[in-house]
Amino acid sequence: MNDASAPVLTARGVRLGFADDVVLDDIDLEVAPREFVAMVGASGVGKSTLLRAFAGLLAPQRGDVHLSTAEASASRDCSMVFQAPRLFPWRRVRANVELGLEGLGLSRDERRTRAMEPLSLVGLEELAERWPRTLSGGQQQRVGIARALAVRPRVLFMDEPFSALDALTRQRLQSELTELRQRSDAAIVFVTHDIEEAVLLADRVVVLAKPDKGAPATVRDIVTIDLPLARRREQSGFRDHVQRLEQHIGVAATPEETTS
Amino acid sequence: MTRPARHRRTLISAVSLATLVTLWETALRVGWLPSNLVPLPSQIPGVLWAEVLDGIWLDVVLSSLSHYSIGLVIGSVLGIAVGMAAALLPRFDAAHSWLARLLRPIPPLAWIPFAIIWFGVTETAAAFIISIGVFWINYFTSYSAVRAIDDGYYEVARAFGQGGFSARLAKISLPAAAPGILGGLRAGLGQGWMTVVAAELFGIPGIGQRMMEASGLLATDVVVVYMLTIAALYALFDFLFMRIQRRVLRWQQ
Ligand SMILES: Nc1ncnc2c1ncn2[C@@H]1O[C@H](COP(=O)(O)OP(=O)(O)OP(=O)(O)O)[C@@H](O)[C@H]1O
Ligand SMILES: [Mg+2]
Repeated sequence: MNDASAPVLTARGVRLGFADDVVLDDIDLEVAPREFVAMVGASGVGKSTLLRAFAGLLAPQRGDVHLSTAEASASRDCSMVFQAPRLFPWRRVRANVELGLEGLGLSRDERRTRAMEPLSLVGLEELAERWPRTLSGGQQQRVGIARALAVRPRVLFMDEPFSALDALTRQRLQSELTELRQRSDAAIVFVTHDIEEAVLLADRVVVLAKPDKGAPATVRDIVTIDLPLARRREQSGFRDHVQRLEQHIGVAATPEETTS
Repeated sequence: MTRPARHRRTLISAVSLATLVTLWETALRVGWLPSNLVPLPSQIPGVLWAEVLDGIWLDVVLSSLSHYSIGLVIGSVLGIAVGMAAALLPRFDAAHSWLARLLRPIPPLAWIPFAIIWFGVTETAAAFIISIGVFWINYFTSYSAVRAIDDGYYEVARAFGQGGFSARLAKISLPAAAPGILGGLRAGLGQGWMTVVAAELFGIPGIGQRMMEASGLLATDVVVVYMLTIAALYALFDFLFMRIQRRVLRWQQ
């Protein structure tokens, strides 16, 4: 049913809010298989809310969100990495990674093997039997990533996964993520308020902003980042992208078509 | 606490207890205290031994233990079940909340008249009264523990396909609330002993009844033997419980 290039995520005319308060409106977005889309926007603009709607954790008030169905057996359509690692402290690291694999009809041994794969991908197979509280913040966030990869999602949602980490750990995890995406089949939708991070990692950057003060936010711009992967902040073209995006995030900026 | 500090603490505790007992003994021997009001500490081991040889000690202890454990199990299981259900099911919470507010302040011993009317002067009546105090402690701690669970965990569960009621209960509510629930169980362990003795004062066989008998004969030494027995049994239960608790909550330490 899914042909190879059909989008894995389609949002059409999505409106999101809480009670009478509309936070986002008219959101249209398509994410291609294995694509890396970053979403940037000011704090409170609705990035987390939109991601939760994409992941099916929140129903849109209007419009619809469609995720293409996972075709691999024992996998899930999508999974999520949260801003705080949100590991279950009462489960050992490996059992945390197994969470999404429960109820997929896998045996105990299969679950264990499936959990060890992403753990070694994030370099933590040694810590599989540890309790989460004995891990550093960066290690915990890696476990969160492993937990999300374990279900072999078609789309991986990441909500500011590195923002709580120190600068060094963040840079390490950013380059690990670039490597990781080449070894995984998942498309990634990555929320961040850090424009450089978005330019560093993404194929396309979606800018969410309010057209006017008080109005619901919408997609102001989508910028394609055509720099080759394994990017560095010093390379030519990097700053141009960052500057263009910075201009678009401010409330007063006028929408304009940007291709790159 | 460092090791030497801990040792010094133990030493101080032991020395002050020994001093108190010695003072007590001396006061009685010198005649500062009337000997019909309190027993000589040095007599206690002998009296305990006599009670054991008579078979009385084991009888009353087993009998009290049986009320205690039945009341404890029933009160704990119901308390945890109702407390968790109230925290997890808004309808049930609303339905029961006034009733709970009405019944909760009633002390377990105030149920003695009904216990005797419903069950007679029987072991069941004792177990019933014990279970009431234990119920409320467990009810309240389980309710608060489940209420205090971070919503974020439930969102994680939903994001990973574990959003069903039973999955959430088994994978989040129970383990996340376990520290609070176990704390309530432990408090119930102590509360249970308090009501055991009181419930037995009305003639249900057990430690309490034996203490009443002894007090009728002014046998203060026998009373003290059973007071110490209760303290020792409580300490034993608490110790065993702590070991289990530490094992269950080893993710926390
Ligand atoms: N559960 C909720 N109930 C009511 N309003 C909410 C709720 N969650 C979020 N909001 C509101 O929706 C808006 C968007 O919130 P959201 O968390 O999506 O922002 P964000 O872009 O992720 O911000 P940040 O960068 O600070 O994480 C905010 O105005 C917030 O107050
Ligand atoms: Mg957010």
